[in-house]
Amino acid sequence: MNGNSSTAGKPIRCKAAICRKAGDRLVIEEVIVAPPSRHELRIKIICTALCQSDVIFSKLVDPPAIYPRILGHEAIGVVESIGEDVTGVKPGDTVIPTFMSDCGDCADCHSEKSNLCSTLPFNITPYMPREDKTRFTDLNGNPLYHLFYISSFSEYTVVDKNYFVKIDPSFPPDRACLLSCGVATGVGAAWRTAEVEPGTTVAVFGLGTIGLAAAEGARLCGAKRIIGVDVNPDKFEMGKKFGLTDFVNPKTCGDKSVSEVILEMTNGGADYCFECVGMASLVEEAFACCRHGWGKTVVLGVDKPGTPLKFSSTDVLRGHKILTGALYGGLKAKRDVPILCKRYLDKELQLDEFVTHSVKFEEINKAFDLLEEGKSLRCVIWMDK
Amino acid sequence: MEKNTQEATPPTTTAGKIIRCKAAICRNPGEALVVEEIEVEPPKAWEVRLKILCTSLCHSDVTFWNMKPRELFPRILGHEAVGVVESVGEKVEGWREGERALPVFAADCEDCRDCRSAKSNICASFGRRGMVGLGMLRDGTSRFRDGSTGEVLHHFLGVSSFSEYTVVDVVNLVKIGVDIPVDKACLLSCGVSTGVGAAWKAAEVEEGSTVAIFGLGAVGLAVAEGARMRGASKIIGVDLNADKFELGKQFGLTDFINPTTIGDKRVSEVIKEMTHGGADYCFECIGLASLMAEAFSSSREGWGKTVIVGIEMHGAPLVVSPYEIIRGRSICGTYFGGLKPKTHISLLVKKYLDKELNLDPFITHEVGLKDINRAFELLAEGQSLRCLIWMDGCKQLTVPA
Repeated sequence: MNGNSSTAGKPIRCKAAICRKAGDRLVIEEVIVAPPSRHELRIKIICTALCQSDVIFSKLVDPPAIYPRILGHEAIGVVESIGEDVTGVKPGDTVIPTFMSDCGDCADCHSEKSNLCSTLPFNITPYMPREDKTRFTDLNGNPLYHLFYISSFSEYTVVDKNYFVKIDPSFPPDRACLLSCGVATGVGAAWRTAEVEPGTTVAVFGLGTIGLAAAEGARLCGAKRIIGVDVNPDKFEMGKKFGLTDFVNPKTCGDKSVSEVILEMTNGGADYCFECVGMASLVEEAFACCRHGWGKTVVLGVDKPGTPLKFSSTDVLRGHKILTGALYGGLKAKRDVPILCKRYLDKELQLDEFVTHSVKFEEINKAFDLLEEGKSLRCVIWMDK
Repeated sequence: MEKNTQEATPPTTTAGKIIRCKAAICRNPGEALVVEEIEVEPPKAWEVRLKILCTSLCHSDVTFWNMKPRELFPRILGHEAVGVVESVGEKVEGWREGERALPVFAADCEDCRDCRSAKSNICASFGRRGMVGLGMLRDGTSRFRDGSTGEVLHHFLGVSSFSEYTVVDVVNLVKIGVDIPVDKACLLSCGVSTGVGAAWKAAEVEEGSTVAIFGLGAVGLAVAEGARMRGASKIIGVDLNADKFELGKQFGLTDFINPTTIGDKRVSEVIKEMTHGGADYCFECIGLASLMAEAFSSSREGWGKTVIVGIEMHGAPLVVSPYEIIRGRSICGTYFGGLKPKTHISLLVKKYLDKELNLDPFITHEVGLKDINRAFELLAEGQSLRCLIWMDGCKQLTVPA
């Protein structure tokens, strides 16, 4: 066991924001964070950001929801201590935790085509990846469950050694944390999954952080035309910063469907379509207005009950277009996060514009309000010094 | 004995005139075809009149044979064939009387954005029209008339090969050399090209991959053949007909699943067990939305690709789980196996001549034009892969020059 000599090897008592019941606001309580086991590291969180998935898991009643749970999965922190068999990182290093394992060694990690590490497959569980246990307990000794193996709404958390990327400590933390989920997912979808080519036309359905990040990714790839689709007209102005050239509001299409409007605008369909909401009917619309021949539709969002997606078999067959999806935008964290960091420092990738609000840890519920009211993209939650 | 294509051509005096010849006409949906005399007009601008040497029955002919709408009949079906140019219309360049050609339903104008792109084979200028039209591609009118009543007979998929002579647009015509026997060449005008292309071009099956094929008709077995050529390590065939396993081994099949003999399990579960998580590539070669979904579920997460080759004719939607899609699986349809006819068919011919591509075992039966209905029976009974239908006097041309 290796770490800060005063806390290494011992449980840490600290503050965490707990969701005790579906639909409840988070409550900040003292919790006990166990020392990292073998293959694990304990991290002191610097800041964390709220993602729509956290909101969903604060309200969901059925499994994989489970309570009480420590939410949060977009974050950055400093390593406080490491367990046995952890190499390549030491106490004091700055890291962002990731929800996708990157072991670097299995067939998937070796393949260019997959980012789904098969050593530790992604599953939504309440526990650590290698064993069905949690590292958090409340002051009554009851377990507090993990989210996506991260649980960053806590001053300290424990993550598995396959689930982090080192970050240069001089890199702004409230920009780095965005790369552990939302923004990276959107940019990755355009860059790695779709491999958007210069001069092409892109349609993005849903202009939350992921959608705007997909637009940003398409812009970086040289797309000529980026059409945003959203029921909130304010998103057009916001989206222009990220390369949006056109906007379609499904509520003002009259008799036409969104896909019909886009088919007309693009004279036959967009080269790439991204669905960034997780609504079956939108995925179907996205596919319908994707160009035949070479068009690619990428699904990034999933409906809460997993509503099946339905497509016209004729459109699938005759259109010759590809329908695919990705987790974390198809990115391999260890390879791609450093590239995205560099592109930000080179002033190519825009990250600043995604951070619309900042709050202190005690005000974490305000972040939830802002997101639900559609007022924010990313609200960063700062832990106390 | 030297045979060359010149012997196959009619006397040049037919150019510019109506030709009277035999054709198998479908007058009503699902009815036996009747072999009668018809009139074939000369080719107009951009068109070529072809003397058909032989044609073969493809399941798509059967599908359209059974379609209800009255307006589709009377019709001359058939779209997999090989012929010889009898005469060309105005504006046609690069084609001469006597040249051997494959009529292909997949248009290839070589000029539009799609035809110029390596990524698409769906001709934007003519692709859609050809699939649904009842007449010629550009003016929509028919070149066929009933020989006694003068009634218009409709075209089919831009080919209409169940006739001693047909007229096709130049975008539906592919040159074929004389070194490949006529009967093998015929297979490349649809089914086998579609299947091999699906594995090669649409899926890009890699060496060592695992492949699962739903439906082992000629197209499914051609997919197996294509996967075998690409070095797939495991090719699993799925079919209700257990005889297809033995037949399929010639084309590289390594494993077989009969859905009726796996008890409570789903086919996708069995495939996942056999491949430790799912096949790298799955193909649906029947045209049933439920099987397309099953094929998709049989693919491996991370990179699994499902290629839909079969045409769903009952409007049933393809239903997939978003949880499966988001885990990196992809699905796409393919049309003529993703091949550009005028570019890729010659590559398949070369592979056949180099003995890399196996075509011979696809031909299981042969009949003359007068017995064309036997071909339908054999296919319906699951007895045949490809039954060739020879036009009168053409069979001696199977011997290559």
